Amino acid sequence: MASLIGSYSLSFGLLFSFFIIFFSIKNLKNSENLDKKIISFSFLQFFIVVISFLGLIVSFITSDFTNETVFNHSHTTKPLFYKISGTWGNHEGSLLLWLLVLTLFVLIFLLKSREQPKKYRIFTLLFQQIIIIGFFVFLIKTSSPFNFIFPAPKEGLGLNPILQDPALAIHPPILYLGYVGSSIIFSSALAAMVTTYVSKEWAKHIKQWVLISWIFLTLGILLGSIWAYYELGWGGFWFWDPVENVSLMPWFALTTLLHCIIVLEKKGILASWAMILSIATFALSMSGTFLVRSGILNSVHTFANDPERGLFILIFLFLLIFLSIFIFFFFHSNKEKIEINFSWLSKETSILVNNWFMMYFLSVVLIGTIYPIFLEVLTSNKISVGPPFYNKLMLPFLIPFLFAMAIGPRLKWIKSDIQDKLYMFILLIVSFLISALIIKEFDVSFLINTILVSSAFFLFFVTLRDFFIKKFKNLSQNIAHFGFSLLILSILLNNFFSTEVITNLKIGETFKSEKFSINFVNVDQENGKNFKSIVGKFNVQHPDGSIDVLNPELRIYNQPNIVTSEADIKTNFFTDKFITMNYVQNQEYFNIRYQVKPLMIWIWISVIILSFAGLLSILKKRYEI
Amino acid sequence: MRLLQIFLIIIFIFNLNLLKANEIQTENKIAKNLRCLICQGQSVYDSDSEFALSLKLVISNKIDEGMTEEQIYDFLKSKYGEWILYDPVLSRNTYFLWLLPILIFFAGGVIIVRKFYIKKQS
Repeated sequence: MASLIGSYSLSFGLLFSFFIIFFSIKNLKNSENLDKKIISFSFLQFFIVVISFLGLIVSFITSDFTNETVFNHSHTTKPLFYKISGTWGNHEGSLLLWLLVLTLFVLIFLLKSREQPKKYRIFTLLFQQIIIIGFFVFLIKTSSPFNFIFPAPKEGLGLNPILQDPALAIHPPILYLGYVGSSIIFSSALAAMVTTYVSKEWAKHIKQWVLISWIFLTLGILLGSIWAYYELGWGGFWFWDPVENVSLMPWFALTTLLHCIIVLEKKGILASWAMILSIATFALSMSGTFLVRSGILNSVHTFANDPERGLFILIFLFLLIFLSIFIFFFFHSNKEKIEINFSWLSKETSILVNNWFMMYFLSVVLIGTIYPIFLEVLTSNKISVGPPFYNKLMLPFLIPFLFAMAIGPRLKWIKSDIQDKLYMFILLIVSFLISALIIKEFDVSFLINTILVSSAFFLFFVTLRDFFIKKFKNLSQNIAHFGFSLLILSILLNNFFSTEVITNLKIGETFKSEKFSINFVNVDQENGKNFKSIVGKFNVQHPDGSIDVLNPELRIYNQPNIVTSEADIKTNFFTDKFITMNYVQNQEYFNIRYQVKPLMIWIWISVIILSFAGLLSILKKRYEI
Repeated sequence: MRLLQIFLIIIFIFNLNLLKANEIQTENKIAKNLRCLICQGQSVYDSDSEFALSLKLVISNKIDEGMTEEQIYDFLKSKYGEWILYDPVLSRNTYFLWLLPILIFFAGGVIIVRKFYIKKQS
């Protein structure tokens, strides 16, 4: 029943798109004000997609297996929370969520843009409706969440256990808020070009959307990363997996746009570049969806792959890109009399440097991700591009980038001097000494590591000092750069100082090393709602006599019948202790992986600081720079 | 302009440094650079699959036999194809992969300098 309602409302929702387009075009010609009907219809469209989405959620909650999506991805014994989150833990449902957020955002846009010109608002709505129609058709034609099965199966196939996890329940919605926010930026940029509204005012207005999308994208990536850390069992949080890259690329583009838009807002230059970035951000979000959904990429995320779907997204994406190129070349008149009156040392330059490096990082990730695909198609040679590639191409460039991040915000518009040269120099020396002291014992490419860490420390100290000197001036910017320095520092130090032991232990055995001993005390059996688990008890004794008790788990899920290994992690501000156990076939041994990972929690904290800086910037009405 | 040149040269040298720097020959390091062929997006080091376990054994045997890291990579490459290496070797197939980003970086620099800093004088 719920499925049926969902299905009908979905088709009905598409109908509203045509009403909205009809009234919008009519509204363009007459009257000064935006027709109220347009907002009402947008609300109705949103409402009806909500109904459709609720229909799917209810089908999941009631385990209505006449619905194909529910049958494929749910099971009666699954906990309620994961029945609900399972709604978007699959291809069809996640697209319905996309659509839901799309209609929600366009409504918010209409309500929040009252002070903007009418024509611009209507054109944004029109472009957004093109995207919305595309997604409606995509959903209804290739990925309907409401396909009917007869006769109804008794039991569903269940949700992949590694997706049954709180972080992963909210990861997709948060990430989508970021992706879909970029669609508003896209439509708005096209509308601004068509109505020749690309201006300081536009920049000021769209910056809010850039910030919102950026915050959600950042948090979405963070959640995925945290999940990978504790769920995948190898203690890493980023593997340069193609699907991770696909979310990182729009992030780079958005971050670039975030900086570029400041120049447009304050100085009225870089308009064309801002247009290109707005288009690119959305194109990257879309092609990410294409790459994931088409199954071209080999990754844990490819839970649905179907060439027809890939083809649809590809064609749709090309249409949108052609449309934007057309508008860019025929409507966007570069009227800005480029009055380039800024010197080498100015805020303009520093932002250009940011854009330059960001684009480089983006191109590394882009090429690293798609090059193997092209190579395989053209020459049928299969190559892998993994972490070493990205480290080699990105880390050296991070050094000047970090320095620029420290110095850039201190510069003034047009022409500037580096202030407090002496202080900066002292901070540089201090950073270098600290880094050399930290890296000292490790001979692994000592020089580059020291310089890398000292550049991060330099940014750290400079921003830290600015909190006291500048107080509330440029607070959000300073917090963001501070957060970034903290992020890089924790990643680097975590990388250098992580230690790991992999060993096989029987119950009762003890593994001894110079720094600690691991005692495998016993195993217990426990029952969860849809799994049985074997819980190990390990005592890890440190040289100072303190003992950590760690309880990693092996879970045997009932449907689908999959064994997962759940890590146990003891976290404090200095270090994470991470343990997993795995069953060794036909033996009484367990494979134990024990890791000590310093500063792990600071990686998460620094990303949260970054997003907080974005939030602060939105809340502050007057953006200071 | 001079400043930029020096700056770019320094970056380039660092880059070369890093390319050469990976010389620690441990089993773990090799295993981290190998794709676990039967897993989805995991290295041999990170995986506990049978394939990964047996490959770790192969690596440690080869090290005992006195093979260098490069030789082990070559050996595995000839056996499983380039797909297994996470660190693609610079070859005819991968010139673009390695050099295109660097080219883009330089091109970007040139565009910025020409557009914003050189016109000013004319």
